[in-house]
Amino acid sequence: MDYVLNFHWKIVDLMFLINPNKFNQVADYIFRPILVLSILLFSLGLLFSFYISPNDYQQGSSVRIMYVHVPSAWLALLTYGIMTLYSIAALAFKIPFGFIFNTAVAPIGAIFTLICIISGSLWGKPMWGTWWVWDARLTSVAILFIIYLIIIFINLSFENRILREKIVAIFILVGSVNLPIIKFSVDWWNTLHQPATISKLSKPSIDPSMLTPLIIMTLAFMMIGLAIAILRIKTEIISRKSHLN
Amino acid sequence: MLFFNKIIYFYYREYKLNLSGFQDILTNIIFFFLSIFIFIFSIGPDKETISNIGLGIVWTLLLLSSTLSLRKFYQDDFESGNLLILHLNGFSFGFIAILKTLSHFFFVQVPFLISLPIASILLNIASDKLIYLFSSFAIGSLILSCLGSISSSMNLMNQKNFLLGSVIVMMLSIPVIIFSVGVINFEENFNSLINILFGILLIVFAINPWAGGLCLKLSLENS
Repeated sequence: MDYVLNFHWKIVDLMFLINPNKFNQVADYIFRPILVLSILLFSLGLLFSFYISPNDYQQGSSVRIMYVHVPSAWLALLTYGIMTLYSIAALAFKIPFGFIFNTAVAPIGAIFTLICIISGSLWGKPMWGTWWVWDARLTSVAILFIIYLIIIFINLSFENRILREKIVAIFILVGSVNLPIIKFSVDWWNTLHQPATISKLSKPSIDPSMLTPLIIMTLAFMMIGLAIAILRIKTEIISRKSHLN
Repeated sequence: MLFFNKIIYFYYREYKLNLSGFQDILTNIIFFFLSIFIFIFSIGPDKETISNIGLGIVWTLLLLSSTLSLRKFYQDDFESGNLLILHLNGFSFGFIAILKTLSHFFFVQVPFLISLPIASILLNIASDKLIYLFSSFAIGSLILSCLGSISSSMNLMNQKNFLLGSVIVMMLSIPVIIFSVGVINFEENFNSLINILFGILLIVFAINPWAGGLCLKLSLENS
């Protein structure tokens, strides 16, 4: 009960987004709720997506792959977008927390992209009849995966930390050209991959019985990504404080 | 000394260096032709197949052989200290990146223009398509030079893993390959595709001084 009553007003401050010390304090406060929330949301989402949501009239039961595929794809893009914002902040306004964030979060984005590609090809085999198509959306997501891998490799192969983190930030900015290509590839080219079903401006063309598990799974993926990100950022801060790299 | 004279002396020096190391460029061209031979041996000498996929092969191999010479791009000048001397002479790092990119274009990529007609004979490409190949090469090779400048300036201080530079160039050059092969295969929308290619060139040419110059500055600061 103490935990709930001692509300951390630093969350409202938002300075914890760019200040490592405040981030540590806030992260200690919100880490356990996020972990509990991610477990709850994950069990609820899996329950919804495996038992409660209906079968598709065409795809049958394999539509349930979507509840993993779409959230991981969104989060792969979201992670890269946040990394781009932090790179701009780090290079332009000299905020070193951006470098910490980039180093810590790149593997998470890579794993989300890998989940997206693998689940997509598992879905594609029964539906399209092939594991892989040379389609604009699929190719651009594969390039996103390679970009994440190159970011990790740059982090591994440079000796000098100050040089390395800046070069990673520059590379992220150069590679962010890929983000709008991924987003609009289904609109610009005539692709096999279906266009976006859920958009902000119009009413979604997905039934509420399928939209509910999708949103719950997205929140669950977000929470679990956030939990891992908090752990990795805290580790990175500690290793920088003790000059381990 | 006038600023313009400095640029002329810079290119005179580049010309001298490339003339003394002309066997490097020749080795690039030999690599290009040998890879064509190997491609044809692995596919089989069927004329129909070769003329279908020949243009793709030419562009892939141009990309690969231009990544071979990436090591020369800034590394020699960086290690001998010439980059610092250039900067002390009043060139900003971004301007050095532009100058080196153009010099790479003139002295490494343009010699490939001589080899393109011969390659088109070997790969059974129709001679009326050669003009498309030339025009797409003239724009695409400058894009490849800019990308090479970005990636090799990123990898100046990278002692462990130099192949990363080639990987970065190959990853960034995917749109170039798509549109420049499209220019040749879809002649009816030649104009629109060449405009897209030119747009990519302008974007990359604008990014190059910023990214390349910043990486040069960082490497010189931390060396």
